[in-house]
Amino acid sequence: MALLEVKDLKQHFTIKKGFLGEKKKVKAVDGVSFHIEQGETLGIVGESGCGKSSLGRTILKLIKPTSGDIFFGGKNITHLPRKEMKELRKDMQIVFQDPYASLNPRSTVRTILETPLIVHGAGNRQERMKVVEGLIDKIGIRKDQLDRYPHEFSGGQRQRIGIARALTLNPKLIIADEPVSALDVSVQSQVLNLMVDLQKEFNLSYMFISHDLSVVQHISDRVAVMYLGKIVEIADVDELYRNPLHPYTKALLTAVPLPDPTKKRDRIILQGDLPSPINPPTGCAFHTRCPAATPECKMETPELREKAMGHWASCIHVHPEQSTKTKIHIS
Amino acid sequence: MLLELNDVSLSLKRDGKYVKILDEISLQVNKGETVGIVGESGCGKSMTALSVMRLLPEKAKLEGVINLDHEDVTSYSKRKMEKIRGNKMAMIFQDPLTSLNPLHTVGRQIEETLILHTDLNKEQRKQRVIELLNEVGLPRAEEIASEYPHQLSGGMRQRIMIAVAMACNPSLLICDEPTTALDVTVQAQILDLMNHLKEVNEMGIIMITHDLGVVAEVCDRVVVMYAGKIVEQANVKELFLNPKHPYTKGLLESIPKLGVKKAKLGSIPGMVPSPDKMPQGCRFFDRCSSAMEICKGKTPPMSSVGEDHTAACWLYEEKGGEMNGSSGSEGLEATLHN
Repeated sequence: MALLEVKDLKQHFTIKKGFLGEKKKVKAVDGVSFHIEQGETLGIVGESGCGKSSLGRTILKLIKPTSGDIFFGGKNITHLPRKEMKELRKDMQIVFQDPYASLNPRSTVRTILETPLIVHGAGNRQERMKVVEGLIDKIGIRKDQLDRYPHEFSGGQRQRIGIARALTLNPKLIIADEPVSALDVSVQSQVLNLMVDLQKEFNLSYMFISHDLSVVQHISDRVAVMYLGKIVEIADVDELYRNPLHPYTKALLTAVPLPDPTKKRDRIILQGDLPSPINPPTGCAFHTRCPAATPECKMETPELREKAMGHWASCIHVHPEQSTKTKIHIS
Repeated sequence: MLLELNDVSLSLKRDGKYVKILDEISLQVNKGETVGIVGESGCGKSMTALSVMRLLPEKAKLEGVINLDHEDVTSYSKRKMEKIRGNKMAMIFQDPLTSLNPLHTVGRQIEETLILHTDLNKEQRKQRVIELLNEVGLPRAEEIASEYPHQLSGGMRQRIMIAVAMACNPSLLICDEPTTALDVTVQAQILDLMNHLKEVNEMGIIMITHDLGVVAEVCDRVVVMYAGKIVEQANVKELFLNPKHPYTKGLLESIPKLGVKKAKLGSIPGMVPSPDKMPQGCRFFDRCSSAMEICKGKTPPMSSVGEDHTAACWLYEEKGGEMNGSSGSEGLEATLHN
């Protein structure tokens, strides 16, 4: 049984536009289904505005889903009352992007790490300190630094504190929303290595949200690609990067500049920008930028279908039997 | 030679004291060449660019020689600098939203450069604006000219910034993280455009970025900076295939590469020292895995480590080892001679 299962999840925000108070809807997440197994990392990639952060927050029910179902450990948590949800949050935690904004500047690291334990009434002070000290040891922060404030730490250290805070209650699932995007590359790799080590040690599941395709490839077991609120492709990491099926995934992968001047690729350069999620294009939302679009794409909304073993894509032009022919080679 | 920096140092006043931000930066940019400046945040990449443009804070102390077209611009007066800024050299910044004026149409902002630096009349200027918008690949140029920055997307705004910079056909273009705020698919469009413009106009480009992928893609030569100093310089292939300085090696090992799955990434321990607490000797010393005794006390000079390839590291400086006779460097010299 999957640890987390999401079925046809929707998150629509109502926004007011124009001075007549005309209401419009932003379909931030629009019918997303997937699952995450225990100990697995699912990467979620997409450009800004594709709904990847809203998806993370909706799963944690930090914002109430418009419709759809969320199962955690086999239990439907979509309509769980507040009190029970609080209990469940021990098992699902979040790490935010900006380590400067996500730690309270007026609290010491000790307080920051102890607070979740107090909120959930775990142990007495002595026991709590034992947990806190055990954790900082794992994230490479010294005991004598516990009474310092966040501003005394570097960005990388702060992000490690953010990770430790998420770990205090021994969760099963961590939703990491762009956890390394604000960090320099050398520090970014430290944090990624730490996340991999912790995953092994505690058998954690990660939902790793990022716009950086190389980082996602490095850390994920499976990857989902999102475009305008929908998953357009989902597959095992090696399969997805070696054999992308959806034209959007292909374009994304060839757009990433490779840190190797000897490799030159045929790049698919997309025209234009991401359309507004307020008025997404009809049919396949990607048809306005798709190099392979046909008139049918405008009419027909493609469904996410299994095109090869464990490889799902939503494009009417990708047929199961074709899927092995369209390989692109990166390495 | 289009641009030449010779031992350029920059000090800024902080809490009443001058703190050295840049320390003897020397680099060259030729016509039609793209030189990348890479390094982590706080290493002085942007300050180097701002020194060339002389867009420095009050009370900044700039030393050394900056030659643009064989003329030392460090002695130029404010007014004379204004004449060449936007004309002979132009700059593109990271955030296209904050660098455009929200109260003026984009057409007017492009025209402003033309008013300042050319004798074109109103009609000609209007024509040139349309021409520029077409050049940077914006559709329906005439409409866009009368739109405001907020009506455009991030990618379009960055194209406007490029149009502003290109207005007077500068011979030097400085780009400070021009694609960092953009999505990858849009980044690909902008990099493509910049490569095209470089070829057409034979500009020299300084490309400041922390993204080594962008460097590999667009640069001809690369300068690696660390804590206000240049630590390595080479042509792009040489630098990626045969990096010499431990810092460069560390940087390259710490990036995950598309298409290559590794169990563990390399990383550099510690962090960049702050400018007012610069360590003696090599500034990378306390983070370096191959640090030796000599590194602690003496600053390594730039030495040639290959064809058009220099690095500032005692590993490659035989004299330093002899002079100090430290035990650490002897072993390394032995490996060098092998």
